[in-house]
Amino acid sequence: MAAFIGTVGLDRLRQWLPLATLVILVALIGALQPVFLQPATLLQLASDTAVLFILATGVTFVIMLGGIDLSIQSMASLASVVVALSISRLGYGAFPLALAVGAVAGLLSGLAHTRLRIPSFIATLAMGGVLFSTALVISGERSITLDTEARGYLTWITGAILGIPNVVLIGLVVLAVAHVLQAHTRFGRYSAAIGAGEPAAYASGVKVNRQKVFAYVLSAGFAALAGIILAGRLASGSPTLAAEMLLPSIAAVVVGGTAITGGVGSIWRTLVGALIISVVRIGMTFLGVNIFAQNIVFGAVLIAAVAITIDRSKIPIVK
Amino acid sequence: MKAPAPNLELATSELALVNVNKSFPGVHALKNVSMRVGRGEIVGLIGENGAGKSTLMKILSGVYQPDTGEILIAGKRAVLLDSADANRKGVGMVFQEQSLLTNLTVGENIYLGNEAQFTRFGIVDWRKLYAAAARQLAKVALDVDPRMRAEDLDFASRQMVEIAKALTLEEGAGGHLVILLDEPTSVLERAEVDVLFARVRALRSRASFIFVSHRLDEVLDLSDRIYVMKDGAVVAELAAADADVPRLHHWMVGRSLQAEYYREPLQRPFKDEVVVEAKGLSYGQSYRDVSFKLRAGEILGIAGVIGSGREELTRTLVGFAPHDGGTLTVGGREERFTTPAEAVDRGIGYIPRERRVEGLVLFLPVAANITLADLGSLTRYGIIDTGEERRLATTWVERMNIRTPGIQTLCLNLSGGNQQKVVLAKWLNAKARVLILDHPTRGLDVGAKEEVYELVRAVTSEGVAVVLTSDTLEETIGLSHNVLVMRDGAITHRAEASRGAKPSQVDLIGHMV
Repeated sequence: MAAFIGTVGLDRLRQWLPLATLVILVALIGALQPVFLQPATLLQLASDTAVLFILATGVTFVIMLGGIDLSIQSMASLASVVVALSISRLGYGAFPLALAVGAVAGLLSGLAHTRLRIPSFIATLAMGGVLFSTALVISGERSITLDTEARGYLTWITGAILGIPNVVLIGLVVLAVAHVLQAHTRFGRYSAAIGAGEPAAYASGVKVNRQKVFAYVLSAGFAALAGIILAGRLASGSPTLAAEMLLPSIAAVVVGGTAITGGVGSIWRTLVGALIISVVRIGMTFLGVNIFAQNIVFGAVLIAAVAITIDRSKIPIVK
Repeated sequence: MKAPAPNLELATSELALVNVNKSFPGVHALKNVSMRVGRGEIVGLIGENGAGKSTLMKILSGVYQPDTGEILIAGKRAVLLDSADANRKGVGMVFQEQSLLTNLTVGENIYLGNEAQFTRFGIVDWRKLYAAAARQLAKVALDVDPRMRAEDLDFASRQMVEIAKALTLEEGAGGHLVILLDEPTSVLERAEVDVLFARVRALRSRASFIFVSHRLDEVLDLSDRIYVMKDGAVVAELAAADADVPRLHHWMVGRSLQAEYYREPLQRPFKDEVVVEAKGLSYGQSYRDVSFKLRAGEILGIAGVIGSGREELTRTLVGFAPHDGGTLTVGGREERFTTPAEAVDRGIGYIPRERRVEGLVLFLPVAANITLADLGSLTRYGIIDTGEERRLATTWVERMNIRTPGIQTLCLNLSGGNQQKVVLAKWLNAKARVLILDHPTRGLDVGAKEEVYELVRAVTSEGVAVVLTSDTLEETIGLSHNVLVMRDGAITHRAEASRGAKPSQVDLIGHMV
């Protein structure tokens, strides 16, 4: 019985570990660099976190039900290219077009995973390759800078309301929508059930494949949105615009405390995870760590987070 | 605790357990179990499902550690850290589900994990390994090429290979080898069983055996002594010469108030309304031409041995194995369920034997499990009404007397009986009209079983129809209004089992085998 209480206590502690980490990191950097705690810096931090958070939010839905989506960074880059190529012709219509491309890509990944019964990491790894090459081909292998006229359509991304950058507001809207989806709808509940115990969910009448396909559509859709915002902030589209964002995104989800094996997690945790990643990144900049070396840290953080967030002894076989 | 007095019997035993206790959350699985195996002896171990046999075997093979009590090997206190450690100390295991890797050769299987003795500089000397494997096979008098793939062997030969593998422990164990045979005959034909038994007897000079089986006649045939377990305790120890099947059965079941146990006084007559009707139902090679009617409030038991087709028949009713012949009518509409979701939509709930896999999402709370099959009715404008969900879950926890710290407790932390009540609550909450009970009391202790029986009686008196398959014939007869007996995929007998006029087990067994 004592051991039983011990486990419960440990689980509760685990739950608060990410938030505690975030608070400690912020306090630490604030102590070393007081300028970090000024509102302007914090707003900048929030703006810089928005894209990462949106990418991580999408993949949270997939991870919750026990899958993985490795195509998100290619999807985001492709979305930026689609926006860059079509905005002069379609105006605001470029954004729904990019989102639709995302939805279709997610649908295909989801169908390949469920209908052809291919493991999700293979299906989305392959989809990532397809999307990356598509972006290369349609962009003519180059970065497309948006002209002044095109930039006129981007103010909803680049502007600010009452001093708060619009990207932060978009991030908050994404947080609200995704949180409701994850915590208050049947889709969210079924995802948790599938992630924690797919056979039981199936035997209880849950339409497992439908939930899975929807999760991949959400993941690719949010990745496309992240790509659109990235295109807006950088005023360009490029097949490598979101390169190097896959690792930090998945790290954000897991660092926040969502179990990589599925079933346990939330969008709030992903928010905390994304903020931790951003703060660590800024901290490294303060410490003068080479920007290209940052993924070494994120890789290490990902491994550490997976090791800490789940009690490995409950998992008999790891593949 | 006082050290046990020196005991000549224990000191001369190859393997002995002294007052071993083992508990899991909510279940006292082994209660003061003592047993011994003498040199060259074959000891039988019997008991119903849930009596504690598997826990005992797991303790002997090092998978579990006893909470209290001790294990003696050749009279000396021993701790078995894990199965490899048990192997080193001379306890080998031949599993119920065959554990040979069918894609490897016989020789590779025999020395799997122990290739080091044939390895030099990281290279395995296969010639040496196969020569050694051939010597092991000779011990069990099995004449097959060790280079053959295991998948090309018949089941009886595979079983012999497993024993040959266990015999490799001889060398390391200093002459104290005990081999646990866990239901080794369950997939064998009668003639194969005879061969297996002859070989095991011939091996007495090399090893002692503990033989676990459901088949009482086989246990009588092979064993020298027999231990009977019931509800986690050893209730009898008999010399095989002094025992017979009825006596063993009496010890195993050991209760006189049968009718009371299955809540027979609560068995109400069922209604006329037919809720499920099967006409000439068939599914592949598994069963054919199955017809029955299930009425509201009726419990229909299906009896049959493994391979009789009853397992597949229940899986058809819940959407896992769509039938390919005949018709299935549910609530007046013809149906062919290709997924469980379709069956659930038509008011059918499945209480699976694999409770922890298919019954519950262990890592979700009690409340979320109770509402899982009927979230739709809790949803307004796409949003789950969590207040209503809490209210519903609380009501069910109270009504079904589910013992849990709270409705947000993970099902993982509940005992087996309370988990099963959560599964039942899930289907009652979804207003299921038909419940498919697939071995509903497997792994539960007596008290929990009785609670499940009471609940099943209660729901049927409210008009829910039940299809029951069970581990014991006794349970099937005790609970059911009517019993279908199946053999080789066909119905061979139909028996009424009304209150006070239950058929005897012997009547039904005749139609099962």
